[in-house]
Amino acid sequence: MKQSITALWVAVLAVLAMPLGASAQMDFSLDEADTEGEGDGAEGDGGDGADMSFGEDGEPIDDGSGDGTGDGADTGDFGDGDIIGELAGGDDGMGGEIEQRERPTETVEEIYAVQQIYALRLNRLELAPSAAFTINDPYVSHPAVSVALNYWFTNVLALGVNFLWYQWGDPTSRESDLNFFVRRATRLGIPITEWQLGAHLNFTYVPFYGKFSVFREFIFQWDAYVVGGVGMMRTRPVPVIDPEFRSFDFETRVAFNLGIGLRIFLSRFAGIFFEFRDYAYLERFENLVVAPTSAGRQDEGTWFADSTTFTNNVTVQVGFTLFFPFTFEYELPK
Amino acid sequence: MMTTNKLRTLAPIALVAVAILGADLVAPSQAAAQEVQITGPLAGQPAVRRMRLYRQMRIMLEPEFTFTLQDEYSRTLFAGLHAGFYFTDWLGIGVWGAYGVANLDTNLTDEVVGKGVTDERSRLSFPTQQGFDNQIATMTWAAAAQIEFIPLRGKLAIFEKLFVDTDFFIFVGAGVVGIEERRDTSAAEMAACDAAADRFACRFDLQTQRSSRVAVGPTFGAGINLYFNGIIGLSLSWRGLPFSWNTSGFDNSGDPRGDFPDGNIDSNDRFFKLNHMFNVGVTIYLPTDPAITD
Repeated sequence: MKQSITALWVAVLAVLAMPLGASAQMDFSLDEADTEGEGDGAEGDGGDGADMSFGEDGEPIDDGSGDGTGDGADTGDFGDGDIIGELAGGDDGMGGEIEQRERPTETVEEIYAVQQIYALRLNRLELAPSAAFTINDPYVSHPAVSVALNYWFTNVLALGVNFLWYQWGDPTSRESDLNFFVRRATRLGIPITEWQLGAHLNFTYVPFYGKFSVFREFIFQWDAYVVGGVGMMRTRPVPVIDPEFRSFDFETRVAFNLGIGLRIFLSRFAGIFFEFRDYAYLERFENLVVAPTSAGRQDEGTWFADSTTFTNNVTVQVGFTLFFPFTFEYELPK
Repeated sequence: MMTTNKLRTLAPIALVAVAILGADLVAPSQAAAQEVQITGPLAGQPAVRRMRLYRQMRIMLEPEFTFTLQDEYSRTLFAGLHAGFYFTDWLGIGVWGAYGVANLDTNLTDEVVGKGVTDERSRLSFPTQQGFDNQIATMTWAAAAQIEFIPLRGKLAIFEKLFVDTDFFIFVGAGVVGIEERRDTSAAEMAACDAAADRFACRFDLQTQRSSRVAVGPTFGAGINLYFNGIIGLSLSWRGLPFSWNTSGFDNSGDPRGDFPDGNIDSNDRFFKLNHMFNVGVTIYLPTDPAITD
């Protein structure tokens, strides 16, 4: 029974992880995973691997040079770069050195047909602190510290929340010189806003994953994800048109967000990520028109612009990501 | 597979995670590379075999489209060509040239044109509303010579169905940019318009006269190449090209006291600015067959 479940998972993983490369080339049979014979396979000591045999048409194959030197991976033509698939692909991968003499039919192989996903996300909690920078507001900067908490209920889909804190001191100190020069030259005030916080409920989906080699030595696993959701931002105008009379309190705005990100795993539980996310909401800016009378200027009803403005807060977030628990167990052995 | 007990531990673990973060990430063993433990016949073997060397000893031609980002007053759309030769799969040299096919005013420019107010004190910086979109600076062309470094090479799986060879590259070099700016103008010239028969036309003319020059600066950037086959691919990259220019055409500076108007629009009014560009290109590699490693 256990073997049957294991075989089922092997088949599922084979379909999920290597649909193009290996599935058409190999037969998988746990029943043939015996260790009889002399064991001169690729490493010469077989028997402790995935308990699988690989062959075509159900025929057992001789899987190495036959001399027990165990350098099967060094020989032969491995096709189009799908290394694992080619290595596991039977006689083609072994350089045609199949000997015709009678040999033990032991076919234990330690090459893994389906590589395990390096870092599983399934049923893990992800904590991701980061720094956030708005990149599309030339008038005032909105740096923030952020933390996200995601629960991965499948290996590619997570539900989570993120929180950003924007309020750091005097907002006019983060105003760009551009505002000053435009005001001085054109007498045109540019309404700016101050943000206090943002809190959002998000779904994250991982459609892309891959690996990079660095100078053909180190392999880094990474994935790209799409994130989106809904939440709120608390913002208020910074009085620049009529600061003598106007002051504003923070108000809550409904915000939608959509973004893409890249996560690079440094270990099975830690990584770094880069994320572009657009937090879109309807902003209420300061009214550019000042009432002519002192009484009118003190009327709070005249302080806000007549209409709201659709605002995109395009943010770059850079941070760390941690998965809990730190360790996990694969459903199947290698 | 995680057990139920492990799931119960998630909440307290999350609370201390921030504290653990620092100690965990500074550990050298975590920073070097992923601890992929390989046994069996793959042990000791190269990380990658039968790898297609898309760049090594090949020429790349890349027609591309470029647009500027984070512009204050005007965006520029470029059509260009990037050519490179690569000595190895991770190092090469390249040249890039692009011509500005369109300039698009930003919302700020539209606001100034529609609502800006000119007065006697700002007359030199902002002579007329109507002419403002012709006094702002624009890029007309750009070129660069650069060293290109490709440290990362891998592949990308899309929806677990489509696999695309990918590399990540960075580059650094020197760039030149053709700029059109407002012509150097003095307060005295503007004051002379007061005596003209049509003061508005005189000011408008002074406001919209242009001069061209070439700005020089470093250039750097990063991007990814996606290889559809041995010849054709898609390139996406960001380029930074910092240099000094007066984007607004205002009398911004020049006074000995600091950033106060000095009555002249000239080189003193330029500010050093990091200009951002985003490139999308189709890469063509020649000769058509890439080398393949052992």
